[in-house]
Amino acid sequence: MSDIVLKEVSKSFGAVSVLDKVSMHIQSGEFIVFLGPSGCGKSTLLRMIAGLEDVTEGEIHLGGRRVDQLPPNERGVAMVFQNYALYPHMTVRDNMSFGLQNVGTPKPEIIRRVDDAARMLEITQLLERKPAQLSGGQRQRVAIGRAIVRDPKAFLLDEPLSNLDAGLRVRTRLELAQLHNRIRATMIFVTHDQTEAMTLATRIVVMNNRRIEQIGTPMEIYSRPATRFVAGFVGSPAMSFLPVTAVSDVGGKAAFSFAGQTPVTTSVPFAGLPTSSLTFGIRAEAALVDPNGAIEGVADVVERLGERSLIYTRLADGSTLVAEDNGVSTVQAGDPVRIAIDGNAAMVFDDAGKAYHAAA
Amino acid sequence: MIRDQRREWVAAYLLILPFVLIYGVLFLWPTVQMVYLSFTDAPLIGPGKWIGIENYVEMFDDRRFWTSVRNTSYFVALTVIPNTLIGLAIAMMVSRLKGWQQSVILAMFFLPYILPVSVVYRIWNWMFDLQFGIMQYPLTWIFGKATPVFRTQWMFMPAVALVTIWWTCGFNILLFLSGLRSISTDIYEAAALDNASRWTIFRRITWPLIWPVTALVLTIQLILQLKIFDQVYLFVQGGRPDPSMVLVQYIYNSAFQKNEGGYAATISVALFVIVIVVSVLQFQFLRARGEK
Repeated sequence: MSDIVLKEVSKSFGAVSVLDKVSMHIQSGEFIVFLGPSGCGKSTLLRMIAGLEDVTEGEIHLGGRRVDQLPPNERGVAMVFQNYALYPHMTVRDNMSFGLQNVGTPKPEIIRRVDDAARMLEITQLLERKPAQLSGGQRQRVAIGRAIVRDPKAFLLDEPLSNLDAGLRVRTRLELAQLHNRIRATMIFVTHDQTEAMTLATRIVVMNNRRIEQIGTPMEIYSRPATRFVAGFVGSPAMSFLPVTAVSDVGGKAAFSFAGQTPVTTSVPFAGLPTSSLTFGIRAEAALVDPNGAIEGVADVVERLGERSLIYTRLADGSTLVAEDNGVSTVQAGDPVRIAIDGNAAMVFDDAGKAYHAAA
Repeated sequence: MIRDQRREWVAAYLLILPFVLIYGVLFLWPTVQMVYLSFTDAPLIGPGKWIGIENYVEMFDDRRFWTSVRNTSYFVALTVIPNTLIGLAIAMMVSRLKGWQQSVILAMFFLPYILPVSVVYRIWNWMFDLQFGIMQYPLTWIFGKATPVFRTQWMFMPAVALVTIWWTCGFNILLFLSGLRSISTDIYEAAALDNASRWTIFRRITWPLIWPVTALVLTIQLILQLKIFDQVYLFVQGGRPDPSMVLVQYIYNSAFQKNEGGYAATISVALFVIVIVVSVLQFQFLRARGEK
């Protein structure tokens, strides 16, 4: 049992508040990703779980035990740092053994556990080297190995892939997913990269500006974002936002009007919707180039990605709608285009950023 | 970029020429002259007669020379390692402070280093003054009576060593502090998660990582303290200099008080050799330790 429970955890450095009443419940064995822009407090939150930052207010429970006042070593967590934080003067084997030596694990046991972890991470041939003799990816493995040998209740990973080059990052991402499948330990992974979050997480915690915006599975976060921030932060290309001029009720569903366009009927229920200051949100894959489409505009930029093309379309009211077309699209920049909106995938946001979706 | 090779060479030589000139005129030439002088019976000023190795033979038989070698070694033993360890200890304490507190404390520890030796001498002579010195309180408590520290032979060197450490420690603290700052805080955080106790962190993380700085401080200290002169010369004033004579003092004594330029040059050569041999040995030893 290594559930992690945060209860209204707040943190301030002097007068500056960096986290405001954050609560969540992480199940044992989950792969949780804290996702957010830099400065949102995600790394601080991770460091608070590790015990490297103290908690200004609130409680942290780990495996049923309150730990927020305990020093890091008594919490039973292991951390992988962004720049690995390997001990530069020790060999890989010593780096991995250090934690076990400090708790008085018998020597044969240490050797066995280090060898096992090294075999799992395929770094056996590096055990007698020093960190300076390793490549970035190898250091990364050693840092993970150092965490594994301690058999911790939870792995805390602070942007561990951000120092790797693009190819290696994708490979290591896959290996991390495999590693999690194999050892089934609770992992908390901090990143600002939405691809890492989407591919690794069992649940994503999207954070912004000191607070949690949404906690959900990757697909929930993607298709039913709780707030405009989440909608805009997750997904590539970013969701298009169009200002709504009027809302009407079409048999219980909402139809939205835009300046100079034919109204678009959606599956969002009309009941309970505010009538003013609404913003319409649609992802590119739900806005297809179609000669019979309701929305008209002028193609500004055409991005050809091979399997599909993205048409950045300027509308009459000046806003931009990113639409999708097939890979062999004939649309050129400057062409007039018509776009069909999939009303089932559309959503709207009120002026506080709260999202309204089609009924689930 | 392709450059004109010849002009590159000219520029290079022009740039190093002033240093080479100064180094040659002020260091190399006098050194050669000193070695030559050591084979003559020259007085302080003016030339002397070539007498071969007579000065060296005399030196190896000279009781006062061996006393000064012994005293110098004793002083080195009393200062080099203690000064280094105290510097490291204070630097570790100072590094735990933050912001302006750190600056103030560091400035206080560094302050003595900027004093000229004569001021240091006045301060400590007063502190140890037989009638008014504040140090007489603990001394009286220990020995039961006021003690003339700089007139008591067995206390003289330890007392001068104490003053020297107080005087020069600030610089070592500065070196150690910059060394400690270069150790990433992540490593200490990783060690905290790795269950390392404070002592383990020092023994297995801080000490090995600060070792290059320690080696540097030890070497600087060793060379500096082998050349001890001013403090001993000043504190012994009014007393008998012979029992506490150190090498540079003996050189000064031979050249300027006994007018024996040739013999003084001989002792200088001896000191020169000692400094080179000891510092090369130490450097090799420290490097070997560092690579372990």
